[in-house]
Amino acid sequence: MGRERQAIKRSGSINRLEATRHLVNRAPQALIIAGPGNAKFDLADTGDRPQHFYLWNSLGLAPSVGLGLALAQPKQQVIVLDGDGGTLMNPGALVTIARLAPLNLLHIVWDNGQYQLTGGQPTATATVTDLPAMGRGAGLQLVATVTTMNEFEIGLETWLTESGPWLVVAKIDASPAPARPPKDPVWIKLRFMQAVNKSN
Amino acid sequence: MTWTDIVFERLKANALEMVCHVPDSVIAPLITRVEADPFFTVVPLTREEEGVGILTGAYLGGRQGCLMMQVSGLGNSVNGLASLAIPYQIPFLILISQRGELGEFNPAQIAMGKAARPLLDSLGIQHFTLRRMDEVAALTDGAIKTAYTARLVSLWP
Repeated sequence: MGRERQAIKRSGSINRLEATRHLVNRAPQALIIAGPGNAKFDLADTGDRPQHFYLWNSLGLAPSVGLGLALAQPKQQVIVLDGDGGTLMNPGALVTIARLAPLNLLHIVWDNGQYQLTGGQPTATATVTDLPAMGRGAGLQLVATVTTMNEFEIGLETWLTESGPWLVVAKIDASPAPARPPKDPVWIKLRFMQAVNKSN
Repeated sequence: MTWTDIVFERLKANALEMVCHVPDSVIAPLITRVEADPFFTVVPLTREEEGVGILTGAYLGGRQGCLMMQVSGLGNSVNGLASLAIPYQIPFLILISQRGELGEFNPAQIAMGKAARPLLDSLGIQHFTLRRMDEVAALTDGAIKTAYTARLVSLWP
């Protein structure tokens, strides 16, 4: 009984940095909200740009920020990059995104089944929890799971062109993310807001 | 006019168009009013901290807003306020309905109700309490204006 019976599942083969690079290349105009942890580190590694908004803390709030931005800027493509830890911290964000259903929101969860930055402690997705099922249960109609880079590349063409809101769970490996984005919150914000203005 | 009518008008006059809320019986009439007016984008939350994130995103996109909740929700929002709204200097109005004061019947409301204002003080978030009908309009206007200079202000009906 109990946790000893819960086998650790394999995570996928997608490399987060490679996938993030591909995403930025395919959607150069998109406004990107990156959650705390490696999502924002790898986004910075693709080349720091004004249309990146990095959350330095606030685990769980990246999709909420993305939702507010998507509602405020319905003509702009908004992409959220977050991890499994952030998604599990605030699963209510899936509910609220499903309820408001902004067409311009693509929410990508890099899922490696671990709190990678703090030493690789397993998250619930490593054993029992099914994030795509949670998304569907929350009411999201467009939910995709990808486990290879090829699937990610093919899927991305759909997620970027067909109206959302999309929830994509990308099963990634456990590669570290050594890059660091700028750290001044007010500067990140003002630069991002200028980028939003320019894109209108 | 009720306090609800006045606050509704001031929210609209000041273009606080995105309203994020977890319902409470005190603010319920105000929520009903904003939901009935297409000027407002109303976002029902599962948990109040979501609203901090959503209003942050809305502000990044050029929209102003208000977070409405019972005082319990302030407890649920603390890290969002401390780690996102405050360091990134994201302005919005927080409308908080009081529980846990004189005459409270529910023991589980007391501690948060008493802690709320000291908590706001420790975060550096100003708070103004609506006590008299003839002050509601001026206090609401003032709280909104101050929120956009000080970045965050809470108002207590």
